[in-house]
Formats: sequence, C-alpha cells, structure tokens
Amino acid sequence: MPQMTLVQAINDALKTEMRRDPTVIVMGEDVGVNGGVFRATEGLYQEFGPDRAIDTPLAESGIVGTAIGMAINGLKPVAEIQFDGFMAPAFDQIISHAARIRWRSRGRFHVPIVIRVPYGGGIRALEHHSEAPEAYYVHTPGLKVVIPSNPYDAKGLLISAIRDPDPVIFFEPKRLYRAFRQEVPEGDYTVPIGKASLVREGTDVTVITWGAMVRVCLQAIEQLEGISVELIDLRTLKPLDIETVLTSVAKTGRAVIVQEAPRTCSLASELIALINERLLLQLQAPVVRVTGYDTHIPYLTMEQYYLPDAGRVKKGIEKVLSF
Amino acid sequence: MPQLNIVQAINDALRTEMRRDPTVVVMGEDVGVNGGVFRVTENLYKEFGPDRSIDTPLSEAGIVGTAIGMAINGLKPVAEIQFDGFLPPAFDQIISHAARICWRSRGRFHVPIVIRAPYGGGIRAPEYHSESPEAYYAHTPGLKVVIPSNPYDAKGLLIAAIRDPDPVIYLEPKRLYRAFRAEVPEGDYIVPIGKARIAHEGSHVTLIAWGAMIPVALGAAEKMAAQNVSVEVIDLRTIVPLDVETVIESVKKTGRVVILHEAPRTCGFGAELAALVNDKAFEYLQAPIVRVTGFDTFIPQARLEDYYLPDVGRCLKGIEKVLSY
Repeated sequence: MPQMTLVQAINDALKTEMRRDPTVIVMGEDVGVNGGVFRATEGLYQEFGPDRAIDTPLAESGIVGTAIGMAINGLKPVAEIQFDGFMAPAFDQIISHAARIRWRSRGRFHVPIVIRVPYGGGIRALEHHSEAPEAYYVHTPGLKVVIPSNPYDAKGLLISAIRDPDPVIFFEPKRLYRAFRQEVPEGDYTVPIGKASLVREGTDVTVITWGAMVRVCLQAIEQLEGISVELIDLRTLKPLDIETVLTSVAKTGRAVIVQEAPRTCSLASELIALINERLLLQLQAPVVRVTGYDTHIPYLTMEQYYLPDAGRVKKGIEKVLSF
Repeated sequence: MPQLNIVQAINDALRTEMRRDPTVVVMGEDVGVNGGVFRVTENLYKEFGPDRSIDTPLSEAGIVGTAIGMAINGLKPVAEIQFDGFLPPAFDQIISHAARICWRSRGRFHVPIVIRAPYGGGIRAPEYHSESPEAYYAHTPGLKVVIPSNPYDAKGLLIAAIRDPDPVIYLEPKRLYRAFRAEVPEGDYIVPIGKARIAHEGSHVTLIAWGAMIPVALGAAEKMAAQNVSVEVIDLRTIVPLDVETVIESVKKTGRVVILHEAPRTCGFGAELAALVNDKAFEYLQAPIVRVTGFDTFIPQARLEDYYLPDVGRCLKGIEKVLSY
C-alpha cells in the first residue's frame, strides 16, 4: 500500500473522485496550472484540463458564490480557499447562501460543495495564515465541518465530503501536510462524516481534540507515566459524534479538551456544555480546556507561546486529575 | 424625567454625544436624510448636517471599512448596519481589520468605532432580518459585544460604547424598540461596559439572558413566583467582556442555572456560559445547566418564528427541568 503524506492523500482523493464522477471539479486561486500553493491539486489540471481544474481570480467571495451556482446546477465543486484567514471575505456567501439554500427552497435545491481550507498554526506564517476559525462554522446551521488529522482519514473524509449532498467545510491542518506518511489505500474508500476516532484507549481521563492537536496530545500522553489516557480525535466537528465523547467521559469521569482556537465561545465551550448536560453526576472534576488565548494568533516568532503544546496539555491533564 | 422607548433612547444617546464631541459621526444606509429605517437617527441630519450624518451606499463592507479608516484618523464613527443579517458582508472588515488593528500595530493605532445593528427576531420579518449573530463576535478577539434590554441601559451603554477606544458591536433588540417606555435621564450618563445587572433577585435558580429575552425571563420569573419559586434573572448587558463575577456569585447562591438565548444552540454564547460555570462553580451545581435557545436551524420566516424563539412557556419548562433534577 502506498505511503502518503496528508497533502498527497488529499490530492489522491481529488483525483479518485474526479476520475469516478465527471461532475466533480476543483476551483480556486492557483489550483490549476500551478497545482495549488501547497501542491494539493498538483497534476489535476494536466489530467482533467482547464474546465475541471479552474484557476479563479483572487476573490474568495467570488469563488464560493460561483461554486454555489455550479452546485445548484448539477456540478460538485471543490473550492479551495488558499488560507484560513481568507475565509472571512467569503463568509457572507458561506453562511448567508451555501448554508441556507436547501432550507430556503424547502429542499428543492441543495448545494453539494466542499470548501477546502489549509487550517491552523505551526508553520511560521504571517497574519491571516494561521487561523482556527471552526467555531464560526460549527455555530452556523446548515454546514458540516470536517477536519482530518492523518493521511488515511484525510482521503476517506474528503471523498465522503465530495459525495455529501450539502456544503462541507473541510479544514486541512497545514502543519501536518508533510509532517509524516501513512499507508493510504489506492482507489475508492470513505471515512464516514460524523464518526469520531478512538485514537488510544484509557481509563483515567478523556482527552478530546481534532486536527493538528491530535499529535500534540499523543506526545503529551507518551510523557505521562502511570496515567491511562483515552484520546478521541473528533474528525468531524459537525455533526458531532457526541455518543463517543459521552461513552468515554462516562467511563473516565474526567475530560480535557484541546484546541488551537481562542477559548471564548468555541467548540470546547460547546463540548463542556454537552458533557455537563448529560453527565454531570459522572464528572469527578470540572472539564479542563487547553486552548489558544483570547487574542489573535501572533506572528511567527511568538506562535509557539500561543498554540497548545505537549507541556500545556500535560498540565491540563494533571489539573483535571488533581481536582 | 422623560419617558422614552429604546429607539428614542438611542437617538438621544447619539444626539448627546454628537453635541458633546465634534468627532462623533453617524453613517450608514438611510441614516441621514431619511432618519434611519427604524428612525433611530431621526433629525441628526438636520442638526449636524451631511458631514456628520452620512448616507452611505448600500455596501456594508464599505461602511465598516470607511469607518475604520475614519476612526484611525481621529473620528469616532457610529456605523449602522441596517439589519443583523447584513452583518456578514462586513464580516471580513470587522474580524480581519477592526478587531485587529490595535493588536497588529502593537497599540499604535486603535479603532474607536461602534457598529450598531438592529438584532433578533419577533417582528415578523423576511429572511436576514431576524438573526442573532452575537456568538461570531464573542468568539472574535478584539471586539466588545453589548446588547441592551431597556431604554435606560440602551442610552447609557451606547454612550459608553462611543467613548470606548476599541470597536464595539452594539446589538439593538429590534422587537423591543417600541415595546415599552422607561424613565431616561436627559443629558450625559453612562452604563459601564462589562457590568451585568440583576433584573430580578431570587434564590432558587439563576436565569441568565440578554436583549429581548429579558422580558421573557421576567415573565417566567413572575409565573414561578406564583408557585413560590424564586428566580434570579441576570441581564448580562455586555457579553464581551463578560461580568463573570455576577454570574458565578448568583450560581453559588442558587446552585441551578438556566441560560436563555435566541441564537442557535450549538456553539452559541450559552455554551460559553455553561463552560465558565463548569470551570468556576462546579461543586455548587445541584443540576446540569439547562439551555433554552433557538434551534440549530436558521430562524424561520414570519409565520413560523414563534415556534423558534424561546417564549415564557419554554423558559418555564427549562426552569422546571433544572428544579426537578
């Protein structure tokens, strides 16, 4: 089985679906001739030509708006927004249109688009290039939000996202693009949207995370001696696999949530609210959040102080255990 | 003391500040000659002229972007976005620029703008006219988010927002605009940003709300009082910065919490409140926190909105749920 990086797995998913289904197209800034700023769309222009690997103007609102129109009329566009921080110019098209058209037309029209976005910090980038904006999209009805943490899941989840009849925001943790390789099956397979993955079983404490933080948490867990940690990779942030989370927390009685995004009003808040709602009596300690700070992620020389690392995750685990 | 409704109180706040400070300007769609779609800026054009009461093109990104530039260069613009659902076209200017310029320039520049928007449901409006988008702005660092629930607070909070050195999202519960009158002092006073208000004292359960949900919460508290259940209603007034002390103090007293908001539930501000109570008052909780909220769908159009927005009945069910645990 081929060994692939996360970016190669995404490229493979796109190629697999474009070969299988002639209505699948990719579009975005530099995704065609150039092959994408991170090479995620490399070779697609050469194989599928300019009608299916479309270089767009530098206008995110235009990219998403055009993709919506194409989707309503029968295509399955996979639109790339070049960096997380450039989603904001497309926000109106995403939340006021893509997310609403099925609802607005009472199911007559739907919008099978995927919006792919390199996501998160850790690559020493400039402003607007290291954001973790998932909470905006999780809060918006009508969207699915997916975030893989490894090459196998990346390919399988992207194929599921392309086949999904509704808009999917597909975040790609950019610091993992070339961080490691993994066996990825050739051809067609899916990883279902809405199913978390139990990365590691344990009995003392549940750590819940997603994206690039999965590896950070694994590092932290390896450094902790004599503590049995259960690690959950959510994989899909919406719809949320709350059963997997609750089953684990009911068993361990203690939970730590780790995310890159700012703390206030984030997905970590929602997870705590849900755990509190359903498992208050099983909790042996308040759920701990290890998150980015309530400021914008700083520039390159400071970002390691902002992003949770193994040390901060360890402190979070120790805190929830010592309550 | 004059009796004013919320629209009149906001108009009074704008006039008071524009008279006091020549750098305060209002701008937005139809805010000048026409006086605003809800009459909030009525007569400001006549008193202060077209340079301080500026009719803009129908372009929300342009309104906020222009306001940012004016603010950096010394003015204090109060920009109106005509309805909550028209904030997204300005989202990039708000979160990528207004919220960041103080941070980006290491404090060299700041952006003293107020973005006013009529907010929330309950007026039988078409799509985009009944949204509750506060969670987007509460999650964004660098913004303050203020939501008054009565005329006195509306005036005092708006004056505080105009004088604030940083961008403030000021959401006006539009169904309360003309719902009732209250005594509003003439001239200059402020209600500080970041201080909640106990709208109704109680000891059995804490009910946390803001904006147009306050009359709903008070209605529920009254109904529960008839059953000898004493409900403490907290009107947050400001959701960022949050007056977490007032919330926690009340929760420690009552041990039971209901959070009430119009916005969709998932990742709404109710989630953050639940998380903070979990962090800071975990051992005082006698029951899981109950959220009474909008549903995880868009607020429906006119005929169905009553089924979406929390009302006294749903609020009572929430209170009964938290009491019967």
